[in-house]
Amino acid sequence: MNRPKVRDIAGVFGRYGNLTFGGGVATIGVLRHEIETKRGWIDSDQFQLCYGLCRLTPGTNLLAFCTAVGWLGRGWFGGLVALLAASVPCSAVVAVATMAFEIWTRNPWAKVALHGALAAAVGLVVFTCWSLIATNIRRSNWIRVTLLFGGAIALQEFAGMSPIQILLLCAGVAAILPLEKRR
Amino acid sequence: MSFLAIYWILLKATVTTFSGLGSLPVIRQELVLQRHVVTDEQLNTAVVIGRTTPGPIGLYVVSVGYYAAGMKGAAAGWLALVTPALAIPLMLRLIGRRADHPRTKQVMEAIVVSSTGLLFAAAIPLARDSLTDAIAIGIAILTVALMISKKADSLAIIGGAALISILAAAAHLSGYAVR
Repeated sequence: MNRPKVRDIAGVFGRYGNLTFGGGVATIGVLRHEIETKRGWIDSDQFQLCYGLCRLTPGTNLLAFCTAVGWLGRGWFGGLVALLAASVPCSAVVAVATMAFEIWTRNPWAKVALHGALAAAVGLVVFTCWSLIATNIRRSNWIRVTLLFGGAIALQEFAGMSPIQILLLCAGVAAILPLEKRR
Repeated sequence: MSFLAIYWILLKATVTTFSGLGSLPVIRQELVLQRHVVTDEQLNTAVVIGRTTPGPIGLYVVSVGYYAAGMKGAAAGWLALVTPALAIPLMLRLIGRRADHPRTKQVMEAIVVSSTGLLFAAAIPLARDSLTDAIAIGIAILTVALMISKKADSLAIIGGAALISILAAAAHLSGYAVR
């Protein structure tokens, strides 16, 4: 394995963590090519470990992945540099874009355009729900998935529980339920 | 709102979810319904901005922070976004290969599925605000179909939706008139 220099960590995560469209999964695909195949910073097993753990880490998977690779390469300093490089430029772009949106949407035609974009955003949220369920549902667990999905909605809408309470309750139930028998 | 108050609310949202938009229900509950510092339309706009700029989808939290309190809110949003990632070096040491344990996987899966239910519930009021005419409803349905078929990326879809909305308003086909 090649031990990366800190400035290379900043360069790779700054470039590919901020300039890739398509969300975290697409970006991790690009980063894998750069750090495993092209530069040899990590091997395939380390990639699997970082990827698996970034899925278990709360928050944004991509940022956890970048931090993990930076940490493996250069310890805490490398992890921090990777995290800052992958998050600061794109966050600044979002802040500036939000400011620009506020000014831009005073124009009546821009308001109409935003109306269409917001309708698409609703579609994107629904698609996100569909894709998350599609990747987790199997013949052996569809009853559990249906109960968890419907139960979470019912607990929020009818029992007035907060999202955090619901997530903790569902995690607790899953921890004591018998393990799923995969067919 | 103070920097710390926004940071704390957004951190609660990011630290309890495992996907980009998964934090949306907590944010809506705290900032839209309880504190009234962000509107549903602003929340929806933040989602649009997060999807049309490069980087992770969870970046919309920065935009939400900006709507709540300007640049200091955006900074709090960024900090809330990166804070959970600092846990992964500890997890690499503590969990390591145990991440593959069936019990761990079952708990994680339950969290993802239930947070998806909450995300769906949060989408309902957003839809009520945004899908106010037939064109908007058509755009939303087309968006889902295109995303499932993987025939277009989200940036192109949002650009196309904005264009359709402008053309429909120009042709007086949309209930959303230019005023």
